[in-house]
Amino acid sequence: MIRALREVEGGLRLLVNVWLRMPALRRAPVRESFLRQVYFTGVTASTGVVLRASGLGALIIAFTMQVLDADTNLAVKILLWVVLREVGPLAAAMVVILRTGTAMSAELAMMRISGQTDALRRMGIEAYDYLVVPRVAGVMIATAALTCYIQFLAVAGGMILSPFVIQASFTELYTQFFDLVAPVDFAYSILKSLMFGFVIALTCCYHGLNPPAFTPNGVPQAVTRAVTQSAVAVLTINALFAYLVFGVLFFGLVRAVA
Amino acid sequence: MSALALRYDLRRDGRPPVFVEVPGGATQRVRLPDSEAKARLVGAVLTTRCSAGEELELFGETVRALRRPERARLHDRIGVLTQAMGLISNLNAWENISLQAAYHGTHPVARIAKTARDALEALGADPQRFLARLPDEMDPFERKLVAFVRLLAKEPALALIDGLGEGLNREQSARAARFEAEYRARQPEGTLLFVDLAEEGSQ
Repeated sequence: MIRALREVEGGLRLLVNVWLRMPALRRAPVRESFLRQVYFTGVTASTGVVLRASGLGALIIAFTMQVLDADTNLAVKILLWVVLREVGPLAAAMVVILRTGTAMSAELAMMRISGQTDALRRMGIEAYDYLVVPRVAGVMIATAALTCYIQFLAVAGGMILSPFVIQASFTELYTQFFDLVAPVDFAYSILKSLMFGFVIALTCCYHGLNPPAFTPNGVPQAVTRAVTQSAVAVLTINALFAYLVFGVLFFGLVRAVA
Repeated sequence: MSALALRYDLRRDGRPPVFVEVPGGATQRVRLPDSEAKARLVGAVLTTRCSAGEELELFGETVRALRRPERARLHDRIGVLTQAMGLISNLNAWENISLQAAYHGTHPVARIAKTARDALEALGADPQRFLARLPDEMDPFERKLVAFVRLLAKEPALALIDGLGEGLNREQSARAARFEAEYRARQPEGTLLFVDLAEEGSQ
C-alpha cells in the first residue's frame, strides 16, 4: 500500500516535472533524442502492423455480418465505432507498450543501475531534461501517428478485403462510411492516443529511473512493473474517456447512432 | 600561471592524512595511500564539494564556501577522467564526446569535431570509424580514449586523470601515456594531475 502511494506520488511529481521542462526540447541533444524516439516508436513500429491492421477491419466486418447477421450499414457503423474510435487507439497503445515501453524502461533502468544517470548529472545534464522529456514527447507524437496509421489501414483494409468474404461492394461500404464519419471521431481518437502515449512514457520512465533493486535483477522487475501498470493505465483512461465522451459530459456531440 | 590550481587536505581517524598541492600549469603525478583517499579526492574534484574531514581549494577558491553558481562556474574549468569513464551506452563515441558541450551550448560543435578528429588521429585511431562506434563495441583503452577526448573537448584548465593505466594491458598503457602530450599540446597553460594508488607505484 505504501509502495503504491509512493509510486503515485512519484508519478505525479514526474508528470509536473516533465510538463514544466518541455522547453528543454529546444536544446539540440534533447531534440535529437526526441526525433530518435519518434522514429523508433512510430516509424519502425509501423511496418509490423500493416497486415494485422488491414486484417482487423475485414475481420470485424465479416464477423458482424456473418455472426450477427447484420446489414452493411451496421457493419460500417461497427467499423467506425469499434475500429476507428476504440480499437485503433488501443491497438496502437498496446504496440507502443510492448515495443517501446519495454525497451524504454529496460534502457533507463540499466542506465540508472550502471551509474550513467549519475554521469549525466556530473556533466550538468538533468536526467529529466535529457532522458524523460524527449521520450514522453516523442512517444506521445508517435502514438498519435501510429493510431492514425492503424485506423487508416484497418478501415481501408476492411473496405477492400470485405467484398471477398461478404455480400457487400467496396463502393457501398465506402459511401456509407463517409456518410457516418465526422471530424470529431478523429479528434476523439487523437486526443485519446496522445494521452495514452503520455501515460505509457511517463510510467515507463518512472519505473526505469526507479528500479526496485540496483542490481541487474532490477531491470526485468522494472520492465514488468512498467508494462503492467502502463496497460492498466491505458485501459482505465480508455474506459473513463469513453464514459465521459459518450456519457455524461459530451453526450450529443459524439452520437452513438448517426 | 603560478598560483596553486589545486590544494586538497584530507584528515581521517586512524588513517594517514593526505595533502596534495598542484601548482597551476604543472603536470603532477600523485600516489595516494589507499583507494578511499583516492576516491575521496577524485569525488571532491568531480563534484566540487567537500565532505567531513576534507578541504579543497581550486584555483585559489575554497569550494566549501562556494554557492551553486560559483561552483558551476568552477566546475566548467575542470575535466575529470574517472575509472568508470561515465560513457552513455546508447550514444556512439561522437555523441558521447559532444553531448556535454552541445547540451550546454558552451563550445561550437565544429570546434569539438576538429579537436576530436585531431586528437584521435594523433592517438592512432581512425576518426571516421571510431566515432561511429558504441562504447559496448570498444575495448577498455578505446573507452578511455573517448572519455579523454570528451575531456579535451571541454578545454579544461585543470584535468584530473584517475588511474590512467588501470584495466589496460602493456601496449594499451603505452598508448594511453600519450594522453599527457595531447593535453599539453592543446592546453599549454593547463594543469594536469594523474592520480594513482601508492601500491601500484611501488610495483
